[in-house]
Amino acid sequence: MCDLWYNILEVVLVFELLSRVSKYIFIALIYYFLFNFLKIMMADLRREKNYPKETGFILVEENGKKHTLFDINTIGRADDADIIIDDPFISSKHALIAKRGSKLVIQDLNSTNGTFLNGKKIKKPVRLKEKDEIRLGTKKFTFLRGETIGTGDRSYLQ
Amino acid sequence: MEPGTEATYNKNIAITALIGLIASLLLSVREGSFSPVPIYGDIIFMVIMFFGYFLSNILFPEQDPALLILVSFIAQLGLIMLYRINPESAVKQLAWFGIGLFLFFASTFISKAWVEVRIGSFYLFVITALLLASPLVLGVERWGSKSWITFQNFSFQPSELAKITFSLFLADSLKNKKIENPWQFFGQIFIILALLAAAKDLGGAMLFYCTALAIIFVATSRIDLTIIGIVIACIAGLLGYEFFGHVQVRVKAWLNPWEDVPGKGYQIVQSLFAIAEGGFFGTGLGLGRPDYIPAVTTDFIFSAFFEEFGFLGASALIVVYFLLVYRGIRISLSIKNSFLSLSALGITSFFGIQIFTIIGGVIKLIPMTGVTLPFMSYGGSSMVMSFISLGILNGIKIRASGGEKDG
Repeated sequence: MCDLWYNILEVVLVFELLSRVSKYIFIALIYYFLFNFLKIMMADLRREKNYPKETGFILVEENGKKHTLFDINTIGRADDADIIIDDPFISSKHALIAKRGSKLVIQDLNSTNGTFLNGKKIKKPVRLKEKDEIRLGTKKFTFLRGETIGTGDRSYLQ
Repeated sequence: MEPGTEATYNKNIAITALIGLIASLLLSVREGSFSPVPIYGDIIFMVIMFFGYFLSNILFPEQDPALLILVSFIAQLGLIMLYRINPESAVKQLAWFGIGLFLFFASTFISKAWVEVRIGSFYLFVITALLLASPLVLGVERWGSKSWITFQNFSFQPSELAKITFSLFLADSLKNKKIENPWQFFGQIFIILALLAAAKDLGGAMLFYCTALAIIFVATSRIDLTIIGIVIACIAGLLGYEFFGHVQVRVKAWLNPWEDVPGKGYQIVQSLFAIAEGGFFGTGLGLGRPDYIPAVTTDFIFSAFFEEFGFLGASALIVVYFLLVYRGIRISLSIKNSFLSLSALGITSFFGIQIFTIIGGVIKLIPMTGVTLPFMSYGGSSMVMSFISLGILNGIKIRASGGEKDG
């Protein structure tokens, strides 16, 4: 009888000891789990920061071709322009549309034939409004709010 | 998925399995003699978890794999605590986990294919209202609120399902980023909240209200509506305090639980004792006294967890829940289609607000409301519906990724 009690006591004490030791193991494992997820989260956020963001506006050519506008867009004939327009009257880097605050502004980049906004030649950066008409050389563009329905290229969030 | 990320996910699922293994070995020697039940339980859990995770990755390569890992992690901690408190309920909960995971697949499949088919906001409203009205007619009163339908041995809370239809209703009403018919829209929300109040499910009413407020703000970006909404919430809170007896009890127990320790403040005081007992590292699994806490398997499971895993474990669990909400918001942000995006946000807000409400309640940050802790509290209704919501979230994510590929 005495032996049995002693055995039970021993097992209970062993359990207590094991439990007291393993709680540190649990905490360590739980935090390792968290650390892994936070690492993934940080990588996500970093990727998103470096990725050009869509502004929700688009530039529509006369022939209906749409260009999505990002934070910074150079327009020109050059291969490294963000929006490439192949037209002899357009300079290699003709104009720049960039985000300033919550609005987009257009700026002429010393082009040969000039940048026109609603028929007027611009000298300084000008804020763009919806349905503004932009003319570069002979090409006409309309500045519009992009479609809110439909999916865009946000593959960096995958 | 990038190879590096995939390796990290696999590592995390291995960590989850390891925690379960250690805990089940520990629990098997708890009674003084060796009992294999926890180990069998853990093997079943692991099989379900691994099978679910890898099968879902094969079936839905576009899915967000983090959702299932986070949820399995939380559910496993819940199962460990449940087994430790009451082995019988843990066995049932394990079955619910399996059923939930199966329904996760089903709802992912359905929402992947179906979300584009619009029922229309009015019918979604009607479905939500019918769901919420059903326990008023058919239900029985339980724990002070009449929000359960009982069918023989099986009981179900229709408001859990109404959360999903309500999110879809809000998303469909606001998909054009403005409130098209304000009287109708606010009237519909009012009817839904009134139905919840009629069932005396005030915790539920608060959840629905906060989610509606969050989605309206996100969809319309109107700060004035949000301020009005918060003011109305304050007025409604005061009115609720005046007219509902059990709100007064809850608020008094929150302001000063020590006034009436054996009566009104009993639950919260026991919860606070358990939390204080836990300290930084906890008492160790099986060494706390969760039997002192009332409703410990449902509402107060977080306190029991806090006692045995300590401040460090409990705060880590909160961060895991935060990560789950973060993944949901990320899914919502990555989608351009406003109906899908707002639906994802609605489901995520329900999770987030529910988690905040119950954890805030048991640590006496806010008054206690009887909502469950998703994936952790004992209860089939909560577990299954949480899994279905998660499946819809996952389906929306897959849908959006598929759309990107086509376009």
